[in-house]
Amino acid sequence: MTREEANRLLHAYIDGELDAVKSLELEAHLAGNPSVRAACERLREMSAAIRDKADYHAAPAWLEERVRAAIPAEPKDGHARPAWWGWLKPAGSFAAVADWLRPAASFAAVALVTWVVALGVMRPSEDERITQDVLASHVRATLSSRFYDVASSDQHTVKPWLSARLAFSPPVADLSASDFELVGGRLDYIGAQPVAVLVYKRRQHMIDVFLWPAEAQKAEQTLTRDGFNIERFARNGMSFWIVSDLNRDELDDLARLLAERSAAP
Amino acid sequence: MLAAESVLLHQTVSAPLHKPLNDPKRRFEQLVLPHFDAAYNLARWLTRNDHDAQDVVQEAVLRAYRFFDGLRGEAKPWLLSIVRNTFLTWLQINRPADTVGLDDGLIDLIPSDEDGPEVLAARSFDRRMLNEAIAGLPVQFREVLILRELEDLSYKDIARIADVPIGTVMSRLARARRLLAESLGAISNISGTQVHK
Repeated sequence: MTREEANRLLHAYIDGELDAVKSLELEAHLAGNPSVRAACERLREMSAAIRDKADYHAAPAWLEERVRAAIPAEPKDGHARPAWWGWLKPAGSFAAVADWLRPAASFAAVALVTWVVALGVMRPSEDERITQDVLASHVRATLSSRFYDVASSDQHTVKPWLSARLAFSPPVADLSASDFELVGGRLDYIGAQPVAVLVYKRRQHMIDVFLWPAEAQKAEQTLTRDGFNIERFARNGMSFWIVSDLNRDELDDLARLLAERSAAP
Repeated sequence: MLAAESVLLHQTVSAPLHKPLNDPKRRFEQLVLPHFDAAYNLARWLTRNDHDAQDVVQEAVLRAYRFFDGLRGEAKPWLLSIVRNTFLTWLQINRPADTVGLDDGLIDLIPSDEDGPEVLAARSFDRRMLNEAIAGLPVQFREVLILRELEDLSYKDIARIADVPIGTVMSRLARARRLLAESLGAISNISGTQVHK
């Protein structure tokens, strides 16, 4: 055994972690090497000194009491379990009744949770309400054939008309070069605010473009509802909702054109 | 159906007799809480102050209770490994600067230049010097030293708690003792010169 190996094994040796064979080898080495033997003794002394003199920090009694008190009855969901569950625990002569009640109580709890979740699901989100509003506006306009309050293919007529009646000035693009004919504009009330509606036409399809100032940029989204295609996006502080029975591809083209035109002021 | 079965069960099996076996809190108190002092001792040596040790231990014991299902083998090293992990989380939140290089094992690759454990005789040091010297060790050496000398744990248990191989436990322990000897040597030199003045 080399001196390096002996020194390396000394720690395991004094810790009682060396196997019998290695221990015998090391002891033979120690017998012939006083300096390593002295090192071994100093290591033992240090170990003994630490065990003797280093502080062992026992926990204060109040801490153990506090932690004991904080341990719930059940490990998994001790925090989530409502307090009333505790009332149903078996107690004295009511144990059998309480145990009979327990499955009933859990069934009631599941029913309650289901009901609350269903309420949350059934309550329409803001986007869903807007979707319903813009769709209703478009369908009303189609049914009454009243698509516009101001009939004009001239953006310089439509824009001031809308601006005069709204608290914002909607961007009005002339897209006739791309075969989207501006036919007019109207006002409506969507998501609890007055909005501008630009009306475009391609072949016989009427296209409503709803516009209002948007604080937050929303992700672009397309959806189909009751046979109508809906697209929405936001550009330059404006929220755009497009509704039409026009096919998806052509509506995409319009959305892209509108987005390009309003990309920058 | 379910309710009827439940009633039947309770009439045939006497509740007070089987309750302790099925009561997880009781089992936890019997198996794990006897090691509360060990948990506190480790937390106290890791955090180096009472207040933080109290927070770490309380969090660790409650966490241990949540994962009580996962207890395999002996409770003491299991609880201490949770204390250590809770400490690391605490450290990341409260002392993020101290976590640099803590768990990457790089520190074990730094070669030590001594060829032998030429440690000083430790008999002559008083408690205060020794405690300060241990508290001054880097945490990965401090923890193996505390687990070995104060908790009297095997290399295998220490490896499990510190989440390192047994060989690393051995080398960290050797390093811890050498650093401690050096530190005590430095302290003794300083006090020596002070005495001479």
